[in-house]
Amino acid sequence: MIIDLLTMPAVILILGAFILSVIPKQVRSATFIVFPLLALVSIWSVPNGFSLTVPLGEYELILVQLDALSRVFATIFAMVAVIGGIYAYHIDDLTQQTSALIYAGGALGVAMAGDYFTFYVFWELMAVSSAYLIWARRTKETDAVGMRYLLVHIFGGSILLSGIIWHVTESGSLAITHFPDEYTVASVLMLIGISINAAIPPLHAWLADAYPKATITGAVFMSAFTTKSAVYVLIRMYSGWELLAYAGVVMALYGVVYAVLANDIRQILAYHIVSQVGYMVAGIGIGTEMAINGTTAHAFSHILYKSLLFMGAGAVLYATGKSKLTELGGFASKMKVVVFLYMIGALSISGFPLFNGFISKSMVVSAAGYAHFETIQLLLILASVGTFLHTGLKLPYFTWFGESKSEITVKPVPVNMIVAMGIGAFFCTLFGVYPDLLYTYLPYGVDWEPYTVYHLVEMTQILIFTFIGFWLFRKKLEGDNKIALDTDWFYRKPADYVRFLFIDVTAILFNIAEKLVNKATAAVNNAFKNPVQWIHPIHDEDTDTSSYIPDIGSVVGFVIFTVTLFVLSWIVMW
Amino acid sequence: MKKWHWIAMAVLTVISLIVEFTYLADYKSHWWNYVPAFYIIWGFVSCAVIIYVSKWLGKLFIFREEDYYDH
Repeated sequence: MIIDLLTMPAVILILGAFILSVIPKQVRSATFIVFPLLALVSIWSVPNGFSLTVPLGEYELILVQLDALSRVFATIFAMVAVIGGIYAYHIDDLTQQTSALIYAGGALGVAMAGDYFTFYVFWELMAVSSAYLIWARRTKETDAVGMRYLLVHIFGGSILLSGIIWHVTESGSLAITHFPDEYTVASVLMLIGISINAAIPPLHAWLADAYPKATITGAVFMSAFTTKSAVYVLIRMYSGWELLAYAGVVMALYGVVYAVLANDIRQILAYHIVSQVGYMVAGIGIGTEMAINGTTAHAFSHILYKSLLFMGAGAVLYATGKSKLTELGGFASKMKVVVFLYMIGALSISGFPLFNGFISKSMVVSAAGYAHFETIQLLLILASVGTFLHTGLKLPYFTWFGESKSEITVKPVPVNMIVAMGIGAFFCTLFGVYPDLLYTYLPYGVDWEPYTVYHLVEMTQILIFTFIGFWLFRKKLEGDNKIALDTDWFYRKPADYVRFLFIDVTAILFNIAEKLVNKATAAVNNAFKNPVQWIHPIHDEDTDTSSYIPDIGSVVGFVIFTVTLFVLSWIVMW
Repeated sequence: MKKWHWIAMAVLTVISLIVEFTYLADYKSHWWNYVPAFYIIWGFVSCAVIIYVSKWLGKLFIFREEDYYDH
C-alpha cells in the first residue's frame, strides 16, 4: 500500500521537491530531471485499467485511475517536466525548482485522479505552486502579477469546489463522472471553475497577464500544465457539450486578434495558447470519437511545440534582456541555433506537413467538418492562418530579422537551454513524421490519415498565401508601444474601489463595532464594578458618606440578605 | 526574401492547383470545394482580415498607454 502510494507519479514529483531542498545544490538540477523520468517509468509500468484506492470515511478515494486518455496526458506532462528541467539546468534557485516539481506533480495528479477530492487537491496545488514561478522574479511588478494570478485561481478553485460539493451531495459519489449536456447547478459551477483554468474568454485574462511575467524557465512549465490539465478534465466531464464547440471557436479567434495587438513576445505566445486551446475546447464540444482523439493528440502536440516556442522566446529574453517587438530585431545571425529550433516549433504550431501540429490540428478541424460543424471548421482554418501569421512570421521576423530597433547586446545562451530546445524540436518532428507513434495511444481507434493529397493541397495553398499576405501587409504588423486592454480590466482598474469596498469599508465598520463594544464593555464594567451597590439601600453616589464608607453598605446588605434568608426558610418550614 | 523563395512558392502553388483540378475527388465533402482554389482565397483573405480587423479593434478601444494600470 505504502509502496503503491510512493510510486504514484504525482507523489514521486512532490516528494522529489522535498528531497531537492535537502540535497547539495551542485546535484540539484540533475536530480530534478530524475523525478519526472521516474514518473514516466511509473506511468508506463502499469496497464490501462490500473487504479489505486484508499478509504476516506464513508467515501472511497481513487488516487489513480489509468486509462488511455489519462496515460497520454500524464506522459506528456512528465515529458515536458523533463525537458523543462533540462532547460532550467543552469539556474540555482531552490524556490523555482521545488515549485516547478510540485506544479508538475499537481498536473500529473489531476491527469490520473479518479475522484473529485483527489482531483481538487492536486488542482489547487498547481495554482499555488505555479504562482511562485512568477514571484521568483522578485520585482515589485511580478509580486503584483503573481498575486493577481493566485487570486484568480483561488476564485476559480472555490467555484469548482462549490460545484463539487453540490454534485457529491446530490449524487452521493465522489467518483469523477461525465455530465450529460444539461445545465444543473453543480455542472455549471464546475464548468466555470474549470473554464478559468482552460482560459476560456472572458475568463482567460490571467494567462496573458501572468505568463509574460513569469521567470524564463517558469513560463515553459506554465505553458504546459494549467490549461492542458483543464482540457483533460473537460474531456472527462464535458465532452459533447455543444456550448464548448462555439466557445472553442471564440477562443481560437480571440487569441489570434490579441496576438496581433500584443507587443511582448511571450504575450504573443500566451495569446496563442488561448487560440490553440480553442481548438481543443471546440473538439471537446463536438465530442465525436474523432474529435476527442484530435483534441487529445492536439494537447500532446501543443505541449511539445508551445514549450519549445516559450523556450525560444525565453532564450531571447535571457540573451538580450528584452522581450518587446518594438525593442528587438536584426540579430538572427547571433543566435542561429535558437532561431532554427524556434522555427521548428513555429512550423509545428502552424501545421506544416512533417511537423506534429499538422497531424493533430487537422484531425480536430476535419472532425468539425465530419460532424457537420462546417462554419466552425472554416473559422478554425481562419484561426490557423492567424497562428502561422503571428508565431511563424510576425514574431520571428520582428524579433530576429527586420531592422534593429534598439541597442542590443546578445549574451551567449547556456548549452542546456539549447539542448532542451533540441529535444523539443526532435519530438515535434518525430511525431510529425511518424504520427502513428501517437495515434496508437489515443483513447479511441484512429481511422484517419493526415497525409492525404487533399490535406497537403489545402495546407500548401493556405500557408503560401498567408505568407504572401504577411509580406504585403507586414508594415501593419509592426509592434505597437501599447498595451492591449483585456478582461482583466474588470478586476484591475477598479482595484482601488474593490480595495475600498472590501478593506476600507470593512475597516470602518470594524472600527465602529469596536467602539460600540468598548463602550458597552465600559458601561457593563461600571455597572458591575461593585454589585453590592445594587443592594445598598441607602446608596447615593453624590453623598460623601456612602462613597467614603461603602463597607457600611455591604454590612447592611449582608444583614438584610441574612434576615431575608431566615424569614424565607422560616416560611418554608412553617 | 530572395528570388528563389518566390519561385519555389510559385512552383508549389502551381503544383497544388494542378493536383486540385486533376486528382481531387471528394468535391462533395464540403460546399466550398466547388470554389476553385478556395484555400488560396481563404488563406489570403483570412490573413488580411485578421490584420486589419485586429488593428482596427485595437485603435477602436483596446490599445492603451503602457503605464495605463500604474495610475
